[in-house]
Formats: sequence, C-alpha cells, structure tokens
Amino acid sequence: MDGVSAAADVRSDVPPVLVEDVTVRFGAITALSQVSFTVEPGTIHAIIGPNGAGKSTMFNVLSGVYKAAEGQVRFGEHRLDRMRPYQIAGIGVARSFQNIALSPAQSVAENLMLGRHHLTRAGFVAAGLRLPRATREGRVHGGRVAEIAEFLDLGDKLHTPVGVLSYGDQKRVEVARALCTEPRLLLLDEPVAGMNAEETDRMAEAVLEIRSALGISVILVEHDMGMVMSLADRVTVLDFGRRIADGTPAEVQSDPEVIRAYLGSGDEIDPSEAAEAAAAAHPSETPGTTS
Amino acid sequence: MSESTATATATRGATRRAGRTAPAPRRSYLRPLLLAVALLVLLALPLYVEEFWLRTGFAVAGAIVGAIGLNLLVGTTGQLSLAHAFFLAVGAVTYTFVAGESGGIGLADLRGLGWPPLVGMVAGVLLAGLAGLLFSPIAARLRGIYLGVASLALVFIGQHVLNSWTQVTGGFNGRSTPEFSLFGFTFGNTDPDLFVLEVPFREAERLWYLGLALALAAYVFARNLLRSRPGRALETLRDSEVAASVMGVNVQRYKGRVFLVSSMYAGLSGVMYALSIGSIAPESFGLELSVLYLAMIVLGGLGSVGGAALGALFVSALPLVFQRYADALPLVGGAGEGGLAPGEAARYLFGLAIILVVLFQPTGLAGLAARFRRRGRDPGGGPADRSASATSDSTTSVPSDPPAQGSTS
Repeated sequence: MDGVSAAADVRSDVPPVLVEDVTVRFGAITALSQVSFTVEPGTIHAIIGPNGAGKSTMFNVLSGVYKAAEGQVRFGEHRLDRMRPYQIAGIGVARSFQNIALSPAQSVAENLMLGRHHLTRAGFVAAGLRLPRATREGRVHGGRVAEIAEFLDLGDKLHTPVGVLSYGDQKRVEVARALCTEPRLLLLDEPVAGMNAEETDRMAEAVLEIRSALGISVILVEHDMGMVMSLADRVTVLDFGRRIADGTPAEVQSDPEVIRAYLGSGDEIDPSEAAEAAAAAHPSETPGTTS
Repeated sequence: MSESTATATATRGATRRAGRTAPAPRRSYLRPLLLAVALLVLLALPLYVEEFWLRTGFAVAGAIVGAIGLNLLVGTTGQLSLAHAFFLAVGAVTYTFVAGESGGIGLADLRGLGWPPLVGMVAGVLLAGLAGLLFSPIAARLRGIYLGVASLALVFIGQHVLNSWTQVTGGFNGRSTPEFSLFGFTFGNTDPDLFVLEVPFREAERLWYLGLALALAAYVFARNLLRSRPGRALETLRDSEVAASVMGVNVQRYKGRVFLVSSMYAGLSGVMYALSIGSIAPESFGLELSVLYLAMIVLGGLGSVGGAALGALFVSALPLVFQRYADALPLVGGAGEGGLAPGEAARYLFGLAIILVVLFQPTGLAGLAARFRRRGRDPGGGPADRSASATSDSTTSVPSDPPAQGSTS
C-alpha cells in the first residue's frame, strides 16, 4: 500500500459532511462534547481514539441511532441530527457495524438484498402475490448484488447462510451490505477488527477502490493505525469525548496531544496497540519521547 | 494484490460475472414431482376416505391458516402476540353476523345481515385486519414479551364482548354458523346434489376442497412474502432492530404491517374455524386457543411457513384423532369412562412434544424435516445448514451500540 492517492473523480452529488459542536449525553455521562469536523466530498476521513473516546457514539449520531443533545450534523441540505435512521439510509448514507449485525440464518445474497431495501418498492401485497413488478425488481437488484459480492470476494458464497461463514467473510458481508445501498457516504465501523494481515490488506485495498471508483466519501473508525495512516486523507482524533486533533495523517502523527492520549495514561490501553500507534506516529524515530 | 479490475466489475457493471458467479442452490426434479403427487392425493382423498377425516382436514386447514399468520408475527418478526384468539373471534363473529339471518329461538334475539357467505368471509378477514390495524400503533411500539402482555388484554375484551353482545354473538350460548356458499354453490349436504364417480359429495367433501384451496393460498402468499423484500426486512428487524433501521427499514411501520397481515390471517382462520365447528361460542376463543396456536408454531419451527403448517396439523388433529380412537388407545378413555379424556391426553402429548422440541430440536418439525431432506441428498451433510445455523450461532446479531432507549428509538 502506498500513500494517500487523491480521489479520481468525486461524484457531483456528494456534499460535504459538516459536524458542528455535537454533544451527546447519557444521563450524567457526556459521551461527546462539542465535537466538530468536516468531511470533504470524496475523501476518506478517519476517526480514531483510544477505547471509550466516543468514536462509536459519533457513528451512531451520524446514522441517526443516537440523537445529539446539542449541535448539528449537515449532509448537503439534510440535517442528519433531525432524521430517523431509515430516512438517513434513504438519502444515501450507509453503515457497517463493528460487531456484525447480519441475519445469520439468511444467505449472503439475502443479507445483501436488504441493502437494496430503500431502492426497491415491493410491498406486502406485491411480494405475497408475486406481482410481475416485484419479481422483476428482485431480479434486477439481485444482479447488482451479485456484482458487489464479487467485488468483495464473496461471489462464491452468495447462497451460503451468513452464520456459517468465517469471521473475516462476515465482516466483508457487512461492508458489502452497506455498499449495496449505493451510498454517497459510507460509514465503516472498524472494518478490519479481528482480521488477519492478508484480509486487512485486501480490505484496505477495497476501501481505496470504493472511493476512487465511486467517488463517494468514506468515514472510517479504525484501531489499525497502519491502515488509518495509509488510507485516510484526513484524521479526527477523539479522546474522552473531545476532539483533540484534526488534520492530515502527517499533522496528527506529530501532534503532542495525540501521542499523549495514546501513550500517556496507559491503564486502559492495550500496550501493543499503543506501540503500534507510536510506530505509526513516528515511523523513523523511536517511540515514547513523552511519558 | 492486483489493480482495480475487480472494482471495474463491481462499480461500472461490467460483465465479468461468467467465470466465478456462485452456483445457485441445487434444484432437483424430485421435489416438484413429490409436491404434484401429494397434491393429487389430497385432491383425490374425498373419493376414498370417510367423513371424519375430511372434517378433520378442514379443521386442520383452518388451523394452518391461523398458524402461518401467527408465525409471520412471532417466528419471523419476533413479536409475541397472545391476541390471536381475539382476531379469530373477530373473523368468526363477523362471518356469522354478516352471512347469518335474523331470528332466533326463545331468549336469544339474533341479528344478521343475511348477505352472501363469501361477503361474510371477506368481511371477516377485513374486520380482523381493521382490528389489527387499530391495535398496530401499540404493536409497533412494543417488542417481544411486552407486546405479549399488552395483547393479552384483547383476549379478555373479546371474551366480554362475546358473552354480552348477544344479538350478534349469541351470548354465552353462542349461535350456529351459516353454511358457506360460493356463487350459488352451497358447501352443504344438498343444493345441488353432487356425485363424483358415484361418491356423494356432501358438506364434508365440499369443505375439504375449500380448506385445501384456502390453506394453499395462505401458504403460498406467506412463502412469497418471506422470500422477498418485506420478508427480509422483517427477519432482519427480528435479529437487530438497529441494523434494520440503519439499512433503511422503517421499523415501526413494518411492525404495524406485519401485525395487520397476521390478524387478517387470523380472521380467515376464524371464519374457517366457525365453519368447521358449525357454531361459535365464547369458550372457543379463550386464552387457551392463543396458547394452542403458539404451541403449533413452536412445535413446527419458528419462522418457517412449512413448519407452521406441520405444527397446526399436529396440534389440531391430535385431539380429534384421540377422540375417535379412544377405545383403541391405552390410557385414553371415552366420555364417562376411566382413563384420560381424549382432549387431556392430547394436551399431555403437546406438553411432552414441546419439551422435546425445545431440548433437542429448537428448529421444530421444520428443522427435523430439513435434516432428513439433507440426509437423503448428500450423506455428509452439506455446509448449508440453514436452520441449525439460525440457532447455534450466537456471535452475530448484536449491533455495536444498541440504543439506550430500546425499541422506541
């Protein structure tokens, strides 16, 4: 994997994502505190931070699962903070889940077809009576689903129930299902967590290909620092619900506060992860200049 | 890794699908053949078997319709409802009222519209659907056991209305159900007299075909539903409401819709139940009926349309068969004799069967059937153990952050 490559051609209907002063509270706990950042069209934007920094909370705000107590999230003319999750899906925002949220008994194809839900119309009557428009719709979208499955190396597993697939395959189905919604903005929640090195490389490659071929924006939450630094055009760093840094990977790498967040009070941080972060932050230097 | 040739395939819709597309699930010719034979046997049955079996068959058909409807709600969508008996009652009473004549004997002054029975049947289905629609705002906001408790209220309301609205329901004595007829053809013993291959086709034979047609239609509709867009949305919302909503499913609307469809199935089932017994009475539509329907779908296999049909067959036919063969069976005695009453014996058997199913075969009769089918096809047992994977796999279906406010998000 080489460095950041600029998006080939950004789709014209991909607006920027403007996150402005978003605060989320659960009772007395403030999970996010006045977080702001902007995702430029056609970029890969990473959100990183130690465990409990509020990354997943941010994703749940972006996809409408949580409501922000203050602040707003704009996507073009839409206010994501005021919309319900299914409405957000309807305007082309797709999301994959960190802990796989697929239907284990359904086949890969059926899980992926759910991604076509907002693009298709067949209701209870049309489906139950197998009206011609329902079957035609199913066939057309089934073809597209097969293409997307092929793209993520799932082509030969289309009719396998998701529950019997390997973990890596299931993660890929998650991403494929999000892609199947034909998104303008793709939210990937730790797409390579738990994957081996080869699977991680393949996924990183796929994310780059998605961005360059589709010209859409991608927001990525990820722990794998190597992947983040090589993929992302811009990085937002959260710690304890606050934004502590925002900039290009190079800028963020040398930010003292970021280094402190990852290495400083090490009680809740996995040492290997911290070392990895430090290695990524200072590829040429020895890590641990601050304590 | 190679350059982005795969991307071109995926994103620009190139036609590289030939080489590696997945093989579709194997199609054997055995299955359609078996289905055709089974259908022929069912069609020819009235020529050979006696009235008891045909009447049982119609009762089973009614139960199949109701069980499929309940399974859509409970098995597919994961919404528990104890109100199924109520919706059956709405269907049964509506049919009896719309198709029945006014009049009555003694105390009971009965009202009826005297309209064609087909109108009564349609009205029964629609009114049950309307009742479901009125309740669906509640159904859409509750999930699982909470909906079960809320729906319990409907059963008690139904009992009260059945007992007290005498002019329509016949009160606690009940009232008899008018015969079904279709465009002048009566599903009764005469009018017109009918012989097929010198076998007289009377009420039981005629109702057998009616039941067969309705059960088949209910089965096909549900199968189609589950294999397409709404079915996938319902199954996903059972597994994870958050995932379903993020993928674009309007969760509340779908919960309301499936409740509506389920209550319409129950309405049709209620009409068939009334026709099968020949009368309606409050005690037929109590909580016990709701529980029997739940037993059907648990025994049959939650989420499986065929399983619901098998469960309905088992649960609704068993007491009738016990009753008929009370003399021949050990421990079971007829009315006034020693031993268990047939209905009681059947209940013990359901209890035992449910325990066995929950312990050893959580996917129910449908899972058992699938296991035998697979064994017949490939002895090694294919990887595509669809039903087993549904229950044995617990690594999935929990979204990263379930919303704190639960289902009412």
